[in-house]
Amino acid sequence: MNWKNVLLLISADVKSYRLVSGERFRRFRDNRFVTYALYVGACVFGVAIGWVVGNFYSGMGDPQLRELLLQVTINFFLSLPTLALLYGLVITQIGQIQRIGVKASIQPLYWFPITWKEHTLASILANILGLPLAITIFISSGIAVASLFVGVVPLAILTIFALLVSVLLASATTEASRVLQVKLSGAMTKVAGRMVIWVKFLGSLVIFIVFYAVYFSLYRQAASLDLLELIAGGQRMLWFIPYMWHGIALSYFVSGLGFETAILSLASIGFLYAIFLAAVRLNSRFGLYEAPAIRLSLGEYTPRTGVLEKLGFSPLEVAVMRKDFKALTRRSELMSVFMFPIMLAIMPFITVFRGSTDFNSFLFVWLALMPGAFMVMNLGNFMVGLEGASVWYIYSSPITARSLVKAKYSFTVLFSLAVTLVCSIIGSLLAAPSMGIAAIVLTEALFLIFSLGMVSLSFGIRGADFSEFPRPRMIRPKWAIVNMIVCTLLTLAIVSPVVLYLLKLFIKTVQAPLYAMVPISGVIASVVAYAFYRIVLKNAEEFLIRAEG
Amino acid sequence: MSHEPTVKIVNITKRYSDIVALKGLSLDVRRGEIFGFLGPNASGKSTTLKTILGLVKPDFGYVNVLGINVEDNPVEVKRRVGYVPESPRIYEFLTGLEFLDLTGDIYGMNPAEKKKRIEEYLEALELEGREGDMISSYSQGMKQKIVIISALMHRPELLLLDEPISSLDPRSARIIKDLLRELASDGVTTIICTHVLEIAQALCDRIAIMYEGGLLALGTMEELRERAKMPESDLEDIFLQLTGTGDIRPVIEALLK
Repeated sequence: MNWKNVLLLISADVKSYRLVSGERFRRFRDNRFVTYALYVGACVFGVAIGWVVGNFYSGMGDPQLRELLLQVTINFFLSLPTLALLYGLVITQIGQIQRIGVKASIQPLYWFPITWKEHTLASILANILGLPLAITIFISSGIAVASLFVGVVPLAILTIFALLVSVLLASATTEASRVLQVKLSGAMTKVAGRMVIWVKFLGSLVIFIVFYAVYFSLYRQAASLDLLELIAGGQRMLWFIPYMWHGIALSYFVSGLGFETAILSLASIGFLYAIFLAAVRLNSRFGLYEAPAIRLSLGEYTPRTGVLEKLGFSPLEVAVMRKDFKALTRRSELMSVFMFPIMLAIMPFITVFRGSTDFNSFLFVWLALMPGAFMVMNLGNFMVGLEGASVWYIYSSPITARSLVKAKYSFTVLFSLAVTLVCSIIGSLLAAPSMGIAAIVLTEALFLIFSLGMVSLSFGIRGADFSEFPRPRMIRPKWAIVNMIVCTLLTLAIVSPVVLYLLKLFIKTVQAPLYAMVPISGVIASVVAYAFYRIVLKNAEEFLIRAEG
Repeated sequence: MSHEPTVKIVNITKRYSDIVALKGLSLDVRRGEIFGFLGPNASGKSTTLKTILGLVKPDFGYVNVLGINVEDNPVEVKRRVGYVPESPRIYEFLTGLEFLDLTGDIYGMNPAEKKKRIEEYLEALELEGREGDMISSYSQGMKQKIVIISALMHRPELLLLDEPISSLDPRSARIIKDLLRELASDGVTTIICTHVLEIAQALCDRIAIMYEGGLLALGTMEELRERAKMPESDLEDIFLQLTGTGDIRPVIEALLK
């Protein structure tokens, strides 16, 4: 192992953050202070917290309370390796996802004179730099200082060792799984053929639902102290999972079983090395990945003329809308646009399983309003940015600002209407609302979709981000936040007359007749839509002439 | 060949903060002409092409394309122009066929004509059988072919090609070169940026050599030879002579040390 190579590769790998954070390269210089400030800050903060906790413990007069706090501290130490493994896995996975585009572009790694061991080790170490290392330093320094006051220094030292093992295990696992994920995804793509898009979509949906259900069941079952006790007490039962060995070693240490502690500590280091070797093997076998061909059509080409042309859209506008539909159903990074409304639709059902009583009255309103509103807000925001690096094609196409707005807005609205329709039908079947309630809620849903579509598109054009590395951004965060705030406020403004009408049911003095409230709501929505139409048109005109940006 | 200018560039200047990309550039490109832009990296070739298409707005000066002021009506200009950028990024989630179909619709081609052209070009550039695959699985050369087809299929009056042949196989490159000549004889104007001097020499009626945002030399091969006082030389020697980069021997010797 050439350690110099490893260090060089790490220093190259960590620089990918420049792309993640969108640094400008011209006259770019690394700021060494900023690089280390995170770790120094984490250490200082950890020491301070440890000192506060330690002093709090020392100052306690009640021996029973002291004993309780000592037990909580020990449970906290025992559960740390498992918690560190979990946060390590999550953060390193997110880091990999963020930098996957950059990693794909660092092909010189494949022809540099380096070994796969050096490459893999560098990738594992580089992946824990940043947030995972800062959190580990923070916790380690905190427990080291606190242990001086509480009198559990040996346990603290062993806990810090276990923390490091956890973070390295998480990063090594992420490295191995990254290669496997890419390989499996490629194999699935090949097998699924034309169905690949829907297979990927359903797969992502299942993962989201499982994740959400697990999160909810954990949230429901355990308060934080109970959770610590659960992990601290329960991990010995999971002795057959090697990822738990270093945590179990800690609990053996607390029980005074020195031999078992040593054996399990050594075994966990052995397991870490085995994972590292597996990652090296996988990298050397599948590291150089090539995207498999995805064949979507075989038949003879027949130009299509569809319904949209008959509705008054020009062929150019229809072409753009058709292209956007394909983008939305084929690009994995755009699946979040679908996922969010679907998750919103699923959320109440998970709430039902938790035994909520007001479910029926709430379900229809939720299903008819929320998924469509979120869809239109998200979609409008992404519609222009999703052009990505291919935006030159729009710039160089003979497309007018009006046509661009018409195509993007119509697509956003039609798609969101479809989502609202489907969710409303499901809501009606499950909650059986009265005709009156259904009519009011659906009318409000239409008002929201038509007006918020224009609002989010105007911000989507203004804040469009076409950078694709390390991942497609589509919208600058600042504009996404502005869009969210403005859409929320305007939603409240649009639905406020109807909310006022509903208040009448509880407060009799409120004068808000329905025949007046719904039209007022419609007028507010129309004013919003028209005002933002002027803005969106202006933004689109500027967008089409700012190609040089 | 008509002498009516298809492209008229008048004194354009473009500055990016302290970098001057174009310095008072003026030239005419005639109808049916194949016009080449040569120059070292960052000499302003691609910026000139983008300015002609209206993708870059000059700080001073103006550009007329087919009698239209680009700044006044960029959409009409784009409708009549075919463009191949230097490093084209295209919708990788579409199939090649879907991308061409999209292009045909955007340029308002009628379905029958669109189908005919797409099939002809796919066959000519040997993309038949791969047109249904996602573009993400194409090689660089295949992507380049798709972009070239999208620039040609709507029969533009002006072609703006930035390094169009660099990734193509020899057969396809030959087809494109011959096609450009045929199109020129039908009155289609082509402006091409390239570093491949053999292509420029063989293909272009006139050549502009750009240097640091300005025009260093402009003319036919004969006129450039006269200007460089190198009557028997090829374009490479003339280019190196005119750009002042001809004395490369010391550089090579230094590298060999």
